[in-house]
Amino acid sequence: MKNKVKLLLASGLASLVLLSPALADQMLRISYSEDPKTADVQMTTDFYTLPLNVFDRLIEAETTGPGTSALVPGLAESWEISQDGLVYTFHLRQGVQFHDGAELTADDVAYTFDRMLNPATKALGTDILDFVAGAQERLDGAADTVTGLKVLDKYTIQITLSQPYAAFLALMASPQASIYNRAFTEAAGDQFGLTPETTNGTGPFILQSYELNDSQMLVANKNYFRGAPKLDRILIRVVSDSETLRLLFETDEIDVFDMDYATSQTPYFYGNDQWKDQIRTGPRVGMYYYHINQAIKPFDDVRVRKAFQMAINREQILEKNFYGKGQLENGVMPRGLTCYEPATPIEYNPVKAKELLAEAGYPDGVEITLAQVSSWSSKWSDMNQIIQAQAADAGFKVKINTMDEAAYFAQRKAGAIDAYTQSWSADFNDPDNFFYTFFSDSGTKVRAFNNEDPEAFAAIDKARSMTDPEARCALYRDLGERIVQTDAAWVPLFSLDHSYVVQPRVKNFVVPWNGWSDMNYYKMEIAE
Amino acid sequence: MSVSPAMTTETPDVIEEPSLLRDTARAFARNRMALVGLCFVLILVCVAVFAPLVSPHDPYRVALDEQLLPASTTYWLGTDNFGRDVLTRILYGARISLVVGIVPSLISLLIGTFMGVLSGYIGGKVDFVIMRLADMMIAFPSLLLAMVVMYTLGANLFNIFIALALVGWAGVARVVRSQTLALKEKEFIEAARANGTSRATIMFRHIFPNVVPTLIVLFSLSIPDAIMWESSLSFLGVGVQPPEASWGLLISRGKEYLFQAPLVAIAPGVAILLTVLAFNFVGDGLRDALDPSMKD
Amino acid sequence: MLMFAIRRILVSIPVLIGITAILFVMLNVIPGDPVALLMKEHASPEVIARVTAQMHLDDPLWTRYFRFLSGALQGDLGTSIKLNRSVTDLILKAFPNTLYLAACAAVVSWVIGIPAGILSAVRRDSFADRFFMGFSLLGVSMPIFWSALLMQYVFALKLKLLPVSGFYGFEYVIMPAIVLGWSSAGVIARLTRSSLLEVMRHDYIRTARAKGLREVRVISRHALKNALIPVVTIMAIQIASLLSGAVITEAIFGIPGVGRISINAIQARDMPLLQGSVLFATVLVILGNLVADILYSILDPRIRSQMRKGAQ
Repeated sequence: MKNKVKLLLASGLASLVLLSPALADQMLRISYSEDPKTADVQMTTDFYTLPLNVFDRLIEAETTGPGTSALVPGLAESWEISQDGLVYTFHLRQGVQFHDGAELTADDVAYTFDRMLNPATKALGTDILDFVAGAQERLDGAADTVTGLKVLDKYTIQITLSQPYAAFLALMASPQASIYNRAFTEAAGDQFGLTPETTNGTGPFILQSYELNDSQMLVANKNYFRGAPKLDRILIRVVSDSETLRLLFETDEIDVFDMDYATSQTPYFYGNDQWKDQIRTGPRVGMYYYHINQAIKPFDDVRVRKAFQMAINREQILEKNFYGKGQLENGVMPRGLTCYEPATPIEYNPVKAKELLAEAGYPDGVEITLAQVSSWSSKWSDMNQIIQAQAADAGFKVKINTMDEAAYFAQRKAGAIDAYTQSWSADFNDPDNFFYTFFSDSGTKVRAFNNEDPEAFAAIDKARSMTDPEARCALYRDLGERIVQTDAAWVPLFSLDHSYVVQPRVKNFVVPWNGWSDMNYYKMEIAE
Repeated sequence: MSVSPAMTTETPDVIEEPSLLRDTARAFARNRMALVGLCFVLILVCVAVFAPLVSPHDPYRVALDEQLLPASTTYWLGTDNFGRDVLTRILYGARISLVVGIVPSLISLLIGTFMGVLSGYIGGKVDFVIMRLADMMIAFPSLLLAMVVMYTLGANLFNIFIALALVGWAGVARVVRSQTLALKEKEFIEAARANGTSRATIMFRHIFPNVVPTLIVLFSLSIPDAIMWESSLSFLGVGVQPPEASWGLLISRGKEYLFQAPLVAIAPGVAILLTVLAFNFVGDGLRDALDPSMKD
Repeated sequence: MLMFAIRRILVSIPVLIGITAILFVMLNVIPGDPVALLMKEHASPEVIARVTAQMHLDDPLWTRYFRFLSGALQGDLGTSIKLNRSVTDLILKAFPNTLYLAACAAVVSWVIGIPAGILSAVRRDSFADRFFMGFSLLGVSMPIFWSALLMQYVFALKLKLLPVSGFYGFEYVIMPAIVLGWSSAGVIARLTRSSLLEVMRHDYIRTARAKGLREVRVISRHALKNALIPVVTIMAIQIASLLSGAVITEAIFGIPGVGRISINAIQARDMPLLQGSVLFATVLVILGNLVADILYSILDPRIRSQMRKGAQ
């Protein structure tokens, strides 16, 4: 009980700091819907705010405009790629310090990637290193080192791939490629990233406190190699209830409201005099889609899949459920992605869909099931209900089967799940991030598309190692047409804008190129 | 709170007089709130049964051009985000909420009574095992238990019955057991035993009827409990699934529209509030009326 | 008394083991894969298989159960799959927060429930009786997530009196404590009422009345003391059940307590964390019941002698 009192006193103080507007320092207050669990990006696949701000990468993907990005030097000042596309040599910036004062060296980079592949780490994000020579052996425990990682000198690291991979540079700019310090991280062991004491990076912000299920506080790294950030602190609060988040924003206890948590509030904010000028919006390099499992009847028949594509009035959903904030998509690639080009439109035509169903042997319509997850935002189940009503016109009798997230992923992994709707936004700016994820041999199974198309598998593999950008883009375009038009294996819906509402004191808020909620806050400012 | 309402129930004496029913009715009628509650419940049941007749609109019709309309003469309580009439949804919701209130309460009452009488009358090892089982159910955090069941069996109405019955039977069993223990000592039971009446007959013919008044009170008080439970499950996403509607689901889905169309969330909340209150009044009235110790 | 306590604790051991075993089996029946869930959209079959093996989640059921049991006996509840932290630490850190909330909520429920129960017993069958009982039952008649939202809307947004959510001081606990406490005030009020009515039928009360004492005096001096015995004894049980009933309140008001942890655990199929939190909650309920019984026996001498008999 005594501890409790102490804790309350301490948190009482924290709340004073938190609430006092007169405080001179620049603190940005943001929220997260769930506890991020760790700052160690190797141990997570979806909580990137801490890693993006506490660590740096060799290369960074910088947002250059709405939906566009460029790869710029990060911890690596420059790099060379060998003619055959196999050997990457990175020259590190000299004098970069970790938060604990240690200097960044090439050995740290080698250590970071070796740690990821070390089976003892039990890392989740290993797929970014799939192409590094010797990665598989290290993962399998057959080797103690990774042959493809070589320290040439104190500031030079050479990474050798087992086969050329066009997206490798882009991958090195993804959050999973954050760089750690060897001595510190080894000492922290499996506690790395879990507490301020066991977290150490080179990034613009330092993890100062971490209260599980409550908040994390980041403070500015005054020694940041690009110069100290404008913000003094960032408070990240864990707010799991979206109405509570909304009220926190309206009572000025949070600076940034991510409209993804309350899509339904779009008209309110756009129509509200207080907020309409405070909306920051940008395209999301991401795709909303319906998944179709070809292993489940009646979707084994391409005519039924085609009919399903045609039975959905995407325009109406975009307009009514997402308030028109986006654009229809017809391919596998969304706008903003390298190689993007508008694809052949899918037409909304319930009459034709009905004919197709009849042709496929279902003249009286056919029953299909959609899967959805109970804990996801209501926009998904709303969309399913709308589709349920729409597809009825074409003869689809839609049943909706709700399950919880753990069951969903287990069923999906086993390839046995019914059709579902989801979105995917780019981890790195390359078509491979979409095609490989959904239609490669392993992707199509683990996501339960079961689009067993050896030609597509071969094309995706081939595209990964192609070095001529134009030929590569052409290949992806053709592949997209094949998947969407010929095989009807994918139901593209639309790409949406990602909107935020910010308090007037927040300056320089830029929606990141990929439209993610997780972003780097280095350039943001607070001004009363 | 899972403290059983039965904790406050006194053990009634044996029913012997035939006039008990009349006495009870009279005592109950004296309690005006209980009467009001009963009327409300009866009206609600009628509304639920005849929902298709009394509802002004189709509860499932999706009309995206009529999203979140304010209250009007066409839509008395406005429309929701699918353009569905809120009042109609609430009237249909009454069906599910009532069923969710009644069915699991009945099941847990059945199981609980059976276990309780068995445990109390037979005693010994049977008693020990049943009571430890009941201890487990009571000690287990109820919401987690219900969630585990829903996750295992899937989110639908029938599984809600199972989950809530599983959570509820142990409390009933405890109360019934303690009553059975008290009844066991009564003369008329001992007389029956002396006559060579079989144990099953004694339990069913002699003990059970005397537990009925308590069961009625327990029943009326566990209906509102179950309605609240379902709303919690709906909040956590494992209750009734859309497009079906329980009141709990209507609130948990409607609350995001609090700013634009407050009625979407507030109206079903008021429906729960009044219904649960009404059932509680009826339950309290019944207990006062059935409990002889409460009579002056 | 000691004998009684020891006996009760011994009897609850099979209950605890039973609960952990049932939970273990159930969690194996529930569809779901903790590792696939860790990776969510980025799931890759190879990584899932590898990490599952690395965490020893593919061991047979009984191996894992005995690993858990032997760890638990040594006070080590294992490591959370999802949060990668010691389960014991997680629970011990979250527990004071939940306890604080539960205690405040309990106080609220007494402040509403006891006076309401007394008033409605004293003025039995009057308008006041119905009104006060109705008021204390109002709390249990509103879904917590609904009343919480309305309170946040009114008191935080419109009146700006209280903070919306968070856990940084006393003012942050007021709304959650009211929402949670009010929801159990009805039980307290009922108990107080029926117990007071019961006591007032006793002879010594009639005697006091016959002596011409004023009704207020009769009640405050004589009846209340005895009538509140069951109310006091139920408090321990009530706090224990508030502890596990705080799940939704914690989620809405952003309180980092054990309720949130246990819900996270079941959603993530995080077996060690779920086992740990259920075990913990169960022990609390059992202890709460034990404390209640002991309190009862201390307050009511008649029971004490019965208990002594029971222990032998």
